Amino acid sequence: MTAASAAPRPEKREILKVQGLSAGYGPMRVIHDLDLTVYSGERVGLVGLNGHGKSTLFYAIAGLTGWQRGSIRLNGAEVGGTRSQGPGRYTHLVVRRGLALIPQGDEIFHGLTVEEHLDSGAFTPRAWKERKPRKDRVLAIFPPLVKLLKTPVGRLSGGERRMVSIGRGLMADASLFLVDEPSLGLAPKIGKSVMEALMSVELGDSAMVIAEQNVALLEGRVERIIGMHVGKLKGEASVAMGFQTRREI
Amino acid sequence: MTDIGFIATNAIVLACIYGTLAIGLSITWSSVGLINLAYGFIFALSGYGAWLAAQYVSTNGVLVLCAGVLTGAVGGVLVCALAFIPIHDKPNFTVRGLIATLAISLIGTQTLLWAFGPRSKNLPEIFGFWKINLGGVVLTSDKIGNVAVSIMVVTAVLLWMRSSRRGLEIRAMMMNPHAAAIVGIGVRKTGFYVMSITGGLAGLAAVLLSQTYYISPFGGLAPMIKGVSIALCGGLGSVRGAVIAAMVLGLNEALTSRLLGGQYVLITQFALIIVILLIRPRGIAGILDRAREA
Repeated sequence: MTAASAAPRPEKREILKVQGLSAGYGPMRVIHDLDLTVYSGERVGLVGLNGHGKSTLFYAIAGLTGWQRGSIRLNGAEVGGTRSQGPGRYTHLVVRRGLALIPQGDEIFHGLTVEEHLDSGAFTPRAWKERKPRKDRVLAIFPPLVKLLKTPVGRLSGGERRMVSIGRGLMADASLFLVDEPSLGLAPKIGKSVMEALMSVELGDSAMVIAEQNVALLEGRVERIIGMHVGKLKGEASVAMGFQTRREI
Repeated sequence: MTDIGFIATNAIVLACIYGTLAIGLSITWSSVGLINLAYGFIFALSGYGAWLAAQYVSTNGVLVLCAGVLTGAVGGVLVCALAFIPIHDKPNFTVRGLIATLAISLIGTQTLLWAFGPRSKNLPEIFGFWKINLGGVVLTSDKIGNVAVSIMVVTAVLLWMRSSRRGLEIRAMMMNPHAAAIVGIGVRKTGFYVMSITGGLAGLAAVLLSQTYYISPFGGLAPMIKGVSIALCGGLGSVRGAVIAAMVLGLNEALTSRLLGGQYVLITQFALIIVILLIRPRGIAGILDRAREA
């Protein structure tokens, strides 16, 4: 696979290096022998249709799929390997290594207040100690949440929930942010502002991968766009190439 | 007048003890997804733990109570290690967990029978002997002690769950275990915390109830059934619902045994539960909880 090898700049560090990853649920194989490398400081867009494995790729990196095999190196440490059962058993260890997964469809704790919810995002011991400044930073990105801090998340609207869900991910002390369809199910205007907020996050040394179906929301604002088709990465466009899509057959 | 007073005090005492059990079962079910049928065994085990402490160490009330709670916590950890850790991420965990805890309960109670014999034991009166007369209603020391200790401990546990990092961890897992894994909460470690705390609550209830009833190998069964029914009635996973359900069912138990006779308690209790669940399928929590699910 050469799909992911196009854009490296030499001084960049490899945050995520996936090699030969296959994953799925029960007898169904969703990801087929996939390679992907993500470098520090870059935003990567992952585009593809429904059911072509974008979410499953994220879940496999977090160890949440039914089974998986292949190497996943996060900040140089191996977090993948072969696993035939136990989805989620080792996820907290991957999260401790620096992963923040912002899942599709929110996955919120409906009874916690917005504030507790943000705290829960900083659950790793290191992030927990400095959760106050982190919370201020997230609230600066999503100002509407300031007034809602004491409200249970279950009573919020769809857009507010998405803000809480993304805010929870940003609370983490992570070097890799995986954002799954941030605009899904939101009104276009709200979806756009959520995307705006994601783009405004200072990445620093970390990296962000955004899965999205609406390419227009990503164009011109991410370093690379990678296409995903039936469980494989197909084609890549980068800023360097002026978003000329290159197709691999 | 004394009649009403007697019914009310009995109802409150029963509500406190069964409520403690129900809250333990409710937390276990909603956080680790286990219907803990071994709860009755943990209850009986901690009764014996407290009895051993009273027999061989000291009959000091605080010590006996602590021994019971500790034995309960150990029992909870044991059940977690045997029935949760090996199977929690295998298919069909709910049913398998049910069967595993039932097996632990059967083996455990038979072991207690084998070790301690069929004769019931009784614990020392840990709250002493005294009574006060409140406007014609006689309140004995064990009643006041039971109510005070159970309310104090349950309140402490709930406050701890509201304010600490561990509490946030447990509450997050109660609401959405999948999302809990995503934010970095280790399911297995949390399982041990949950099971030791709920085991400790069972131990507390065992020592408190032993002020009224004797300790026997099978003595945990009836309290567990009451605990399960209160937890169901209150809405599994809701602590406030469990407290209200405990009050309602405690009142029902005291009223029934006074007006109809003790043998009708289970009949009226389950009739009441059926009526409540027919009207509110999510239990009393369905009325309280205005947050949308999922």
